[in-house]
Amino acid sequence: MIKNIDNARKIKMGSSFMNSAIALVISLILGMVIIGISGYSPIESYIAIFGVSLGTLKGFALSLSQATPLIFTGLAFAFAYKVKMINTGAEGQLYAGAMAAALVGAYITNLPSGVHALLGFAAAFLAGGLAALFVALCKVYLNANEIIVSLMLNEIIIFFTSYLANGPLKPPGSGVGQTKMIEDTAKLTKLIPQTQLTTAIFIAIITACVLAYLLDKTVFGYEIKVTGHNLKASNVAGINVSKISLITFALSGAIAGMGGAAMVLGVNYRFVEGFSSGYGFAGISIAALAAYNPIGVIFSAFLIGILKSGTITLNRTTSIPVELVDIIQVLVLIFVAAPALIKSIMSRAKKVRSKSSREEHMEVKTSDI
Amino acid sequence: MTFNAEVLYSIVASTLRSSVPLILAALGGCFSVRAGVSDLGLEGMMLAGSFFSVLGSYITGNAWLGLLFGMLFGAVFSMLHAVMHITYRVNASISGMCVNLLATAATPLLLNEIFGMSGKSPIVEAFKKPDWQWMNNIPVVGRILGAQNVLFFVAILLVIVSWIFMYKTKIGLRMRMVSENPHAASTVGLNVTAYKYFGVAMSGCLAGFAGAYLSIGQMNLFVEEMTAGRGYIAVVINAFGKYNPLGVFGGSIFFGFFDALQTIFQNIFPSQLVMMTPYVFTLLVIALGLGGSRGPAGVGKHVDN
Amino acid sequence: MEIIRMENISKIYPGTVALKGVDFTLNKQEIVSLLGENGAGKTTLMKILYGMTAPSSGRIFYKGEPVRFKRPIDAIEKGICMVHQHFMLVPAFTVVENIIAGSEPGSNIFLDKKKARQEVIDLISRFKFNVDPDAKVEKLSVGEQQRVEILKVLYRKADVIILDEPTAVLTPHEVDDLFAVLRRLKDEGKSIIIITHKLKETKEIADRVVVLRDGNLINDNVDPRKVSTKELSEMMVGHEVNLQARRPAKHIGEVCLKVENLTVEEDGKEKVKNVSFAIHHGEILGIAGIEGNGQTQIIEALTGLRKPKSMKLTLDGKEVTGKSSDFLKAGIGHVPEDRLSMGLVKEMSVMENMILGYHRESEFCSKKGLLLKKQISQYAEKLKKDFLVKAASIYSAVSSLSGGNQQKIIISRVFSREPKAIIVAHPTRGVDIGATEYIHNQLIELRDRGAAVLLISADLDEVRALSDRILVLYEGEIVSESMPGELSEVEMGLLMTGGNYMVEEGKQRD
Repeated sequence: MIKNIDNARKIKMGSSFMNSAIALVISLILGMVIIGISGYSPIESYIAIFGVSLGTLKGFALSLSQATPLIFTGLAFAFAYKVKMINTGAEGQLYAGAMAAALVGAYITNLPSGVHALLGFAAAFLAGGLAALFVALCKVYLNANEIIVSLMLNEIIIFFTSYLANGPLKPPGSGVGQTKMIEDTAKLTKLIPQTQLTTAIFIAIITACVLAYLLDKTVFGYEIKVTGHNLKASNVAGINVSKISLITFALSGAIAGMGGAAMVLGVNYRFVEGFSSGYGFAGISIAALAAYNPIGVIFSAFLIGILKSGTITLNRTTSIPVELVDIIQVLVLIFVAAPALIKSIMSRAKKVRSKSSREEHMEVKTSDI
Repeated sequence: MTFNAEVLYSIVASTLRSSVPLILAALGGCFSVRAGVSDLGLEGMMLAGSFFSVLGSYITGNAWLGLLFGMLFGAVFSMLHAVMHITYRVNASISGMCVNLLATAATPLLLNEIFGMSGKSPIVEAFKKPDWQWMNNIPVVGRILGAQNVLFFVAILLVIVSWIFMYKTKIGLRMRMVSENPHAASTVGLNVTAYKYFGVAMSGCLAGFAGAYLSIGQMNLFVEEMTAGRGYIAVVINAFGKYNPLGVFGGSIFFGFFDALQTIFQNIFPSQLVMMTPYVFTLLVIALGLGGSRGPAGVGKHVDN
Repeated sequence: MEIIRMENISKIYPGTVALKGVDFTLNKQEIVSLLGENGAGKTTLMKILYGMTAPSSGRIFYKGEPVRFKRPIDAIEKGICMVHQHFMLVPAFTVVENIIAGSEPGSNIFLDKKKARQEVIDLISRFKFNVDPDAKVEKLSVGEQQRVEILKVLYRKADVIILDEPTAVLTPHEVDDLFAVLRRLKDEGKSIIIITHKLKETKEIADRVVVLRDGNLINDNVDPRKVSTKELSEMMVGHEVNLQARRPAKHIGEVCLKVENLTVEEDGKEKVKNVSFAIHHGEILGIAGIEGNGQTQIIEALTGLRKPKSMKLTLDGKEVTGKSSDFLKAGIGHVPEDRLSMGLVKEMSVMENMILGYHRESEFCSKKGLLLKKQISQYAEKLKKDFLVKAASIYSAVSSLSGGNQQKIIISRVFSREPKAIIVAHPTRGVDIGATEYIHNQLIELRDRGAAVLLISADLDEVRALSDRILVLYEGEIVSESMPGELSEVEMGLLMTGGNYMVEEGKQRD
């Protein structure tokens, strides 16, 4: 009896991967409908999208470079979610990080090139972290809703950086809102010439690995997991819940801030007003698709990167809408968030009736206690 | 002297104008929370309302039918939230964010697919400011109210009707019971799921109305992301007003005032800094602990049938 | 006259049979006690009657008619109502609103508050209840809340009233009040079923006792006046009960844990008033009392979870202050009140739960903050073996274990650290008899190894059986200190309810 339940748990763990896969497939199928409405053949379009992204070196590089900021924001959301906090502030943290990196890149001079870029990342880490720390303080000490506070702070940061880029920091003669170009020493090395793929992707992957290690192997990670699952039990166990929540959420913001640095130091070479096409919010879907697993985030971000790069390329010659990817992202989030929804879709498809009996089984267990 | 009075009139009139979408959206939030479902999806429902009311008006050439369209689709978007949270037990914050993200992604897509335009829609038939000459003869009040759109008066009416509904009717009492203790409601035979769906649908209709006010009430077209976070501000107002229609009305006026100041100072300070103020103000309200009123005890709780 | 007949009711869940062909009848104007242990199937049987779950087989007759309720509301409409163990009330509503919600008087749309209030007042006076109709429920005592629940049922014109463990949360005085109400209801023609596992109360109130064990009907016609409590308990448990055997402490040592002037304030009220006591090495000090008299606050203060208004706590003469982590480090173990919400992380593995709270000790964690996985898994395997924790492996999620085995994880975790002093709260609540015996033995062994044990339990029998000294807590004050056996159960019961009574007097009565 106990063995059965234990097996059931293993199946459940494996099923989180299945769950994501099914969610993705359903979302891609629904995406076909959108392509169809736009007047293109869905299957051919998908072949074209994946063909462009994976079949050509430039497309592949574009996929990876599109994935880079998404890895950061995906990690940011996934990490905060480990303490059951929802970081909807990644977009603002990204802007804060970008501005910090742009300032360090442009106004600090005479540094060796590697060091300068790393300093830019460090500044972004700090800026994003501070923005998130403010939110976490409101949540922990004022019991405010972190989602709302984050969203308000997003607007404030975006408007404020935009003010800086249009006002005091605007280089003379510039038409759009942007800051001074960063020094060459702060620029990241391109991995493939004439693409936007830079060493930032390594920093992203290393960050994911560090987080995975932190969560699995360290006492800090253990305390994060305990806090996320059961607040009261963590108090009883002598864990400083406030401290853990504050640090985790601040780190989450810091990671999102690094995403901003990746954009500034690797792609735009300056802070440009409105540079993010919703990377912060895309992070929510990416984290969910990865079942909040840091290593999984690398792959889910890459997948969305492929879709983005494909549609961007195709959009130049056809009118397949770029918003397609945004819609697919939301659909993925919807289906991953609601495993029961997928289950019911699947069971309706298969007409399997095992679900109801399993639920009744649960009922016995709880009433027995 | 006259100049000062003019400024005052314009501030008050502008306050009322800016508060209408907040009143409507936050009132929607009341219905949602008072049925036990958190209201984080207001922004998306509002945005959907803005777009679809323009579409409705575009198709029918009638602003009222446009409004109806907007409310209907606000409700359609709210159903995503309802199905995910109520039926499939997804955390209401996540399902609310899903609605918001879906509306943000879908409206530009639809704008492109339907109108072939990006950024903004074509100009459509909108609500006109009523020409009530007689109002101008009433001192002060007439000047202020005369500057309002007809939808302002509808919004006031809705506040009163909603309050009566929640506190003076049987269904209102039952709905509130669901939000306070869904288990208790279930044991006296109430269909908890139905009440929750009703509350969320109402929030969708009202948020859709709020969105329509922005697109075909104040303006005559849809602009991408035109709700600009008002849905989130409505969530704060709802908590601020203790989830009570009358409280929400007061809270909206309060927030509307800061919105009005923004329009007045537009030409004096850099626009970005001025646009920042409502959010800074909202944050201050939260940080000072004013927005943290505890809602009904059973929000987010489910009942096993 | 027979009002309910349930024939051959079975309920099969995958993997377990909750009820095996049980028959049950209820007559008009009768109070039946449905007696059984946790998991005996009594609640399931009543849920079937009430339409909360469907039976796997069997038939139900109500007033001679065959019925099958799909939902509770169907049963309510026929006049069968249930008062749940966890009250189904809305704290923010008034008494009147709570009673009428769902069956309001008035036209189709609007609420007629005046009429509703009058109806409730009539009901209150008819049954001589003592409740303020306009009070908010959150301001009422537990006993009053239960009366509101009963009024709710009466307002819906119930003929049959099912009460699920109605005395679990009541003080003895409130129990007396409840029983008076129930007798009045019976005189008015109502039929009543009480689901319970309390023998004395069964004997006091029931006209007839129905005993269930492991889903089987043991006896459906026991006359409570003709059997002893011991006989009843043996029917319920299935074998001779010998839990009460005392094993007094052999070597009581020096003072270990000393608490002085403990005062805890909550919501502006003093929940614990200047309490002082000391526990010696090798001694179990029991605290008896009705729940809600300050036990939780004492536990929280002694484990560092709450900063008391005043307290001086010394352990072996050294003062302990700070947060819960400091208390744990000083050597004060803690078996919390509610294992699932406070003691365990059910989503995590047995292994991870076995170091919870001690995860920062050098045995499990390197100086750099890394978890020593190998040592931890060896440690967990050892605890699992030593404490007979039944789990598929140490990697199983705690949620997959039974309540008894979950509790054993906490016991193993805390006891094996050899704490100098330990705060144990309700260690056997909701645990089956086998595990209870095991946990009691472990507790006594820990004491005999020299630990100072503070035992706080709502189960008076448990306190009396295990303690070497007993304090009675009433409204945040210690009202008595006695040696076990010095006071009778009745005397302690009186003290627990603030009975202003002299011990001498009680002794004469015995």
